Formats: sequence, C-alpha cells, structure tokens
Amino acid sequence: MKRIFAFALLLSLMSVLVLKPAGSYAGEKPDTTATPVESRMQLAYLCGADSVILTATLNLKKEDGTVNLKNAFIEFSASNGESAKSLGKFATDQEGNAICKAPVAGLPADKDGMINYTAKFTGNKKYPAAEASFKAKPARIRLSFSIQDSLRILKVDVTQKNLKGETAPIAKEKILVYIPRIFSLLKIGEITLDDAGSGTLEFPKEIVGDTLGNLTVLAKIEENDNFGNVQGQNVINWGVHKQYYKAEVPSRELWTPIAPLWMIITLIIMLAGVWAHYMYAVYELIMIKRLSKREKPPLF
Amino acid sequence: MEEETNKNQKNTRRQFLKKGLIAGAGVAVGGSLIAAYVDATATETGEKVKVLTTDGEIMEVDKGLLKLPRVSREESHQGLPGRKFVMVIDLGKCKNARKCVEACQKGHHLPKSQEFMKVYLLQDSEKTSPYWFPKPCFHCDNPLCVSVCPVGATYKRSDGIVLIDNERCIGCKFCMTGCPYSTRVFAWKHYEEFEQDKEPYSPEAGSPGKEGTVSKCDFCPDLIRVGKVPYCVSACPMGVIYFGDVDEDTVTNGTETFQFSKLISDRAGYRYLEVLGTRPCVYYLPPVERQFEVDRGFGDLDEKIKERYKDTPYSKKHNP
Amino acid sequence: MENEQNNPLKEFAPQLERTTMQGYTWILFLLLVIGVGFYAFLQQVLHGHEVTGMRDNVVWGVYIVNFIFFMGVSYAGALISGTLHLFKTPWRKPVIRMAEFITVISLLIGPCFILLCIGRLDRLPYLVLFGRIQSPITWDVIAISTDIFGCFIFLYLAVLRDLALLRDYELLKLPKWRKKLYKALALGYTGTPEQQQRLNRATDIMAAMVISIAIIVYSVLAWIFSVTLQPGWHSTIFGPYFVIAAVYSGSAVLIICMWVFRKVYHLEAYITKKHFVAVGIIMLVLAAFFGYFTFSDYLTKWYGSEKNDELLIQLLFKKFYWPFIISNYVGVLLPLIVVGLARFRTINNITFTAVVVVVALWLNRYIIVVPTLESPYLPIQDARPEWLNYTATWVEWSLTATGVAVFCLLFTLASKFITIIPVSGVTGEEKKEDVLI
Ligand code: SF4
Ligand code: SF4
Repeated sequence: MKRIFAFALLLSLMSVLVLKPAGSYAGEKPDTTATPVESRMQLAYLCGADSVILTATLNLKKEDGTVNLKNAFIEFSASNGESAKSLGKFATDQEGNAICKAPVAGLPADKDGMINYTAKFTGNKKYPAAEASFKAKPARIRLSFSIQDSLRILKVDVTQKNLKGETAPIAKEKILVYIPRIFSLLKIGEITLDDAGSGTLEFPKEIVGDTLGNLTVLAKIEENDNFGNVQGQNVINWGVHKQYYKAEVPSRELWTPIAPLWMIITLIIMLAGVWAHYMYAVYELIMIKRLSKREKPPLF
Repeated sequence: MEEETNKNQKNTRRQFLKKGLIAGAGVAVGGSLIAAYVDATATETGEKVKVLTTDGEIMEVDKGLLKLPRVSREESHQGLPGRKFVMVIDLGKCKNARKCVEACQKGHHLPKSQEFMKVYLLQDSEKTSPYWFPKPCFHCDNPLCVSVCPVGATYKRSDGIVLIDNERCIGCKFCMTGCPYSTRVFAWKHYEEFEQDKEPYSPEAGSPGKEGTVSKCDFCPDLIRVGKVPYCVSACPMGVIYFGDVDEDTVTNGTETFQFSKLISDRAGYRYLEVLGTRPCVYYLPPVERQFEVDRGFGDLDEKIKERYKDTPYSKKHNP
Repeated sequence: MENEQNNPLKEFAPQLERTTMQGYTWILFLLLVIGVGFYAFLQQVLHGHEVTGMRDNVVWGVYIVNFIFFMGVSYAGALISGTLHLFKTPWRKPVIRMAEFITVISLLIGPCFILLCIGRLDRLPYLVLFGRIQSPITWDVIAISTDIFGCFIFLYLAVLRDLALLRDYELLKLPKWRKKLYKALALGYTGTPEQQQRLNRATDIMAAMVISIAIIVYSVLAWIFSVTLQPGWHSTIFGPYFVIAAVYSGSAVLIICMWVFRKVYHLEAYITKKHFVAVGIIMLVLAAFFGYFTFSDYLTKWYGSEKNDELLIQLLFKKFYWPFIISNYVGVLLPLIVVGLARFRTINNITFTAVVVVVALWLNRYIIVVPTLESPYLPIQDARPEWLNYTATWVEWSLTATGVAVFCLLFTLASKFITIIPVSGVTGEEKKEDVLI
C-alpha cells in the first residue's frame, strides 16, 4: 500500500520544483535529443456500475528522470483475442494521463469472460511508441442499506455475467468498504462474500457525513486476478451530521480583522480627549496672535 | 527476458490497480494539475527549464512547465469552504529522517537557510525519555501572531490556515516574538530563490518570500486546493505526519487513513503547550511504542546538522 | 528700548551669536559619526538585515533597545518638565528648558530606531493604510505620533516668551533670517495680561496632557513586550516598570545635560549644586522605585520558577551576568549611596552617577530584550549554530552611535537657537528670584 501510494505521489509531485528560470542556463544546455528517450505506458483499470474506466499514463524516461507526456493520443481498445473493438482515442493531460470510459455492455470477451484492454501510443518522430494492456472480467457491486434489530446493516451483492450472459454471483471474494474523504479513502470495514455473492457489515456509528448526515459509501474489490478493480457506490444518511468546527472560547478573539468594540471605543475616547486639548492649546496660540494684531495699532 | 518483462508487468499491474482505485474513486483526483510535462504535439521551443524531481535530481524539460494553479491575493484570504484542517504527528514513529524538512524546502522554493519544518530533540525532564519532535506551524485557533500583526499581513482563514501575505508584511517581526513556538522565519536578505517564481504573487503559493518579510509553514494550501496532502506529509517515509479535515473527522498520512477522533482518543493525542491558550491545530501522539531508538535520529545526518543538536541535554549526556 | 542694557538676554546672547572653534570641531565630529552611521545604514539597505546580528531567534536587538531607551528619555523629559511646571517648583527654571529639549529631541530619534528594525521601510505607509487596531504596534504608532505633536506644542508654548524676547532684543548680532524667524515664531506675543493668561492656561493644559500621554505611551511600548507570551516579557508589571525606568533614565540624562551646558556655556551662576541635588534626589527616588519594580519582577519569576522563567534567570546570571549586575545592582544602588549620603553629593559625583545610571538603564533594556529571545519556549535547536546567539554588529553599533550623535547635534543646534535657560522670567512676568533662586 505504502509503495503504491509513494508511486502515485511520486508521479504527482514529480518535477514541480523549478530551480532556475528558463534561459539562465543557456550556456550549459545539453542537447536533449542526444539523451536516449524511452516511452513508458501504464494502464489502470476500474470497473464501475456499468462502465469501465481505463487510465493510461504515458511518460518519458530520460537518462535523468521521468517527464510526463502531454497531448499524446492514446488509442484504447478491448479484445477477446479474436476480434477487437476500438474504444476511442484520448489525449493525455499534463500528468500524462488519458482516461477512457466505456460501457461494459458489448465488449468482446473470451471464453472465460475475460476482456483484454489495450492502450496504445503509436509514437511520433520524437517519442517512441508504447503500449500497455490489462485483462479483467467485468463485475458489479451493489450496495443496499437496511436496519435490522436497530442495527444498521450494509449489504453488498456482487455479480458477474456468466458465459450465457446471465447474471451470476461472485463468491468468496473480499470486499473493502470505504468512505471517500478529501485526501483519501477512509476504510470502515471488510466483507467476505458468501456463496450467494453477498455479505453484510454492521455500519459503524460516528462516521461524519455532510451537514445532513449523508455519506457516500464505496465498496471495492481490489487487485483481484480475475476482476481487477471493481467499485460500487451508494449514498445513505447514516452519517453523523457534520458540525463545523468552532474553536473553544471564541469570545475574545483578537485575530479577527475587526477589533473588539471596547478597544475601538477606548481608543476613540482617548484620542478625542487628547486631541481636543491640543486643539484648545492651538486655539489659545491663535488667540494670542489675534490679540497682538488688535493691540498693535496703538503701539505705533 | 520475457520472464523479466512479465514480472515487471505484474508489478506495474499491481501498482496501477491501486492507482486506478484511487483515481476511480474520484477523490484523490490531484495530480492532473501539477507536473512537469512535455507536449507531444507542440514543437519544442528549445527553451529548457531546470526541474527538480522528487528524488532530488535535477533535469531539464522543455519550457512547458506548469505549476499549481494560483489564486489571487484576495481569494487567498478565503479558506476552502467548509473545511478545517488539522495535522496529527505521531512522535512514536519519528526518527529525524528529515525528509519533511527537505521536501518542504524544495516545495516552497526556500533558500538553504530557511526551514519551515524543524525537528527538535526534546526531553521533558531529566528522567524522561528524549524524543524527536517535528514542528510545523501549529495554525493556532487563537494565533497571537495574527493578533499582533499591525497591518493584517498575517491572517487566519476560515479553514484554519494561517497565512502570510509577503506583499503586505512590513517586516516588523512582531509576529515572530508573538508566536510562542518560534515558528516564523525572516528573510534577512534577498535570496536568489525568491526570483524563480515568475507568476503573479499569491500568499497561497507560499513562495517566493521577499526580502525583509516573514514566512512560515503554510500547510501547503495550493496543494490542498487540488486535493493533495502537504509536502511534509507525503515525504515522510515513516508516515509520521497525518493530515486531514477535522470536520470530516479523517486524517491520512498518504498510506493509512484514520478517524481523527478515534486516533486522538486511542493514542492519547495532545497539543503542545496547551497551557498557552493558543489552541493549535496540530496534535501530537505521544512518543510511545517507539519504532526507533532516539539514536537512530543521528544515523545518517550531515555533520552540520548533527552539530545543531550538540547542546541538547541528550547529546550532552551521551557524547560529552 | 531703554532697558536694553539690563536685558537678561545680554548675558545669554553670546551663546546664540558665536560658535567657538571647539564648538565647530564638536559639530564636525558629530557629523563624522553620523556620516559613518549613514554608511552603515546604506549597507543595511543594500545587503538587507543580514548585516545586523539579528537572526530568526533574536529578531529584535540593539535597535529596539535604543528605541526603548530614547523613547524613555523622551518621556522622562516630558514627565519632568510637565511636573516641574505644574507644581511650579521654585528651582525649575534653569533646568526645565533642557528637559523640554530632551523630550522633543529624543522623541525624534527614538522612532528612527524602530524604522531601522523594520524589514520593509518602503511599506511604512501600510501602518496607516491597513492599520489593525488590535495590534500594540498600531497603538504605538498612534500614541507616538500623538505624543510628538503634544510635545512640540508644549515646547513651543514654553519657549514663546523667550522667542518674543529674542525678537525684541535689538542688540542681538544675528543674521536677518534668524531675526525674521524669531519674529514669525513669536506670534506677536507682547506679554499683555490677556496673552499671558491665555499662554499660561494653554501651557498648564499641555503640561497635564504631556504627563498623561507620556505615561500612556510608555505603557503601550511596554505592552508590545508584555502582550506576547514570551517568558520574561509576559508580565503585568511591565507598564509601570517601563514608565519608572524611563523617568529614571531621563532624570540621569537631564543631570548629564546640566553638567555639560554648565561647563560649555559657563552657567555656573544659574545651575548650581542645589539644582544637581534637587534633580539628583528625583533620580534617587526613581532609583528606589526602579529597584523595587525590578526586584518584584524578578522575585516573582524566580520564586515561582516556571521552567522557562528559570531558564531565563539562569541565562541572566550566566551569560548576561555583568550587564545584569550593572543594570540591576549598580544602577540601583549607586544613586542611593551617592545622592543619599550627603557627603558624597558633589556635582561631579552626581553627574558620574547619572552616567552610570544611563549606561545601566540601556543595559537593563538590553537584558530585557535579548535574553528572553534567546530562551524561547521551544529550546533553540535545529538552527544554524551561528544563529544561536545574538551579538550586535558594527552596523548596529555605528547606528547606535549615530543616534547619540544626532541627539547631541540637535541639542547643540537647539541651544544655538534658543537660550538653554529660560530668560523670560526676568522680564517682570515672574520674579527674578525664581530664576536665580
Ligand atoms: S504556531 Fe506560531 S506562527 Fe503558527 S499560528 Fe500559532 S502563533 Fe502563529
Ligand atoms: S513581520 Fe509582517 S507578518 Fe509579522 S507582524 Fe510584522 S507585518 Fe505582520
């Protein structure tokens, strides 16, 4: 888990740090064409309710590090070894990710029900071609909620399509249940499926939802050899209502933009008092000046 | 040869399964907004930019480099709506690997002499055991630094983050004496690093600093905005630092995710120097069930950095 | 006018009219010091605050010490001159003008030191544009600017009579522009009963104002320190403590000024031992108060011995041993002995004591500011070794010297503009005995 995350973070954090503005190194700029370039592609797979999401990541490995390739067109396809179906062409973003979402229905499967997904970058003058593929069987997870004996029960039902195209349960697999949060998924439990492809979990209390207590619940099969990643989701209002955090003792905050009233009043009173006296002194000076004018004529 | 490729494939498959899992959830969507990349269609301008990878290597890429999106100075005063960030630091796992310090320095384009994250070797009393104590800004809920600032250059947002506007700060350093945790650093001179950044200034970007102004740990609001955890959190190899939204009651160190309230009550979390009434947003888990001896913290330290701890009671006792 | 020959100004006129060779050398010397200071300031502007000894732990150094010091001297001047005036102290005349000068001049210098300490001088207007009322610095900005106005008005009221005299004294050998200036400044004051009445009323009010503002302003300055949570600063006693320390230092500076001007302008007939003893006794009383405040501040810290207070006190008795001893022992005991015991009371002894007191009080501010910053709550660790301790650099010392030099220069110039002893008393408005005791 840690390694994988580290990898994801590595990708995302990659190369954000500019050391020098462009041009500053003009003199010592090496010829980039001289460094061997290798394109690398990786394909991530996720099966949702009725569609699959394929994420291909394309980056360039140079002698001195990895750079993502943007605006490269990736061709996605699904095949069963005999016939292939194109899923379209998608351009990569700055992260080098091209995302393809395709409906599960109608994808060509082999005799075991496996579908082989391929992502392909044909390459161009500068960057060599790259390809990655992934094999998985579509599956579906449904979540339902019920209250039994005042216990909150989450039930999952996991199914696949059998060869005849009928819906059949997936037995004995492990299901992980999560709540999505701002930075990550909060795991709230694990379910092992029974023969009928279903399982239950007592829903934990004290999971914070939104202000109305709504929670999005995800159930997943992860890294399964047959099914890859499968995810189902549903919404339920079993969460604790979100309370916006109030710092304790909020009455004497001085850090807010506006000063406390007493402070403003004190200041105004003090300043007004002092300056009124100043004004008075200045007024007296003016009067002294005036008096002199009035009294001057008799002197001459 | 073939076997090898297979093995590799399997590895990548595993990794990407997980990656798909994360991206698919629509949660940790980040990443798409931050990276060095080259454009496959654009003709190379020939202009090169030096770029640091997370491994600390320098490489050159075409000048298509894009950074995190920046909000304006005004917008940076508003917190992320409905959020309240919190950090939890597990002292039991820290071994002074200093990856947080380095990642933070790189992430914020800090000059060598400025560090936002500091790692202390604390020992509460003679008979108690010493421990490593990473210390970011606590983003206090009653931040004295903000109270004393005469021009409002340092401010607290609705999401709890305390930021500094380096274009407003007059450099009076009052906040530095106001902060009881010695968190803030001053730019005593003009550093070259301040020039790297050509984009319009935003307090959220945390960098560049400006000569004669104050900076400090900012909880990386630019990363948070795109759904990523701060640099220190993702950099720590031990997963010491957890980060999250306290209203959501969840914190994560990138690999593990916990319910904040449960973590704090199970592990007896506390806030440092609670007695001062600053109400920090950073919690510590006491240094119990240590994963490393304190000595390990000196392991592969630079001599220069070791030097910094020579006056601690611990060092005095052990290497007199 | 017929009584021109008896005009008291006759005796003081030379100090306004002529500047001796020594005088010019003195001014040249001061200008030299100021020149070096200017160069130092340029260094600081060009290379940033790195040229000072301040670093991330000790963010305030000698500049702030000087700031507190000069502001203290200034408030002391205000308090002393205001009090002397209000209570119509009989012997005040020869010294009150000096006290007024001290007030205004050091009030001009003090804030310059805070400016030196500020990282972005170019953003100074922000203090007004974006001022936050919650910040003690804003209080200080408001208070100091109010104080500057008040002190100028007070000084002006106090010198008005003399200005009128200078204007009317025709024998004065001065350039035209000076005479014109006197004329303009004298506001046509001729000493009619109504004018006198108005002037007295205004002066009384301003004396009262100046006293109260001095107390407020200096407390505000103390609060800059005591509102923080830093061990050693976070103390309720700081307001009054700073006020007392300020007046104390001011009385010492006044004694030094008296001594200097007595020598330079040969005022032995006017400033007598009596005056030295009188101001000396004020100093003595203040020394006692200062000692008392210092004692109760440190006693409470030491007795309760919170961890950080203990560390601070350890630091004070180790690293800052001598400054601590000089400021808090010598600086308190010496005046008690020298002024307290009649047989030590000579003009020179009192002046020497005053010099010691000035030094002691400067050091007192130093050991208030620096050791606290060197012993924060979180021990100073994980910082560059060269950043651990504070030592002021030549830039800071040179600018400190400049501050003193500017003080002396302005004082010298002021004494060339207006007599250092009020002469108006002899014109009949007040009895001659008042002036000469
Ligand atoms: S730790 Fe210091 S700098 Fe950070 S918010 Fe608290 S008082 Fe301010
Ligand atoms: S140094 Fe800057 S941020 Fe700190 S109090 Fe002064 S103006 Fe505010």
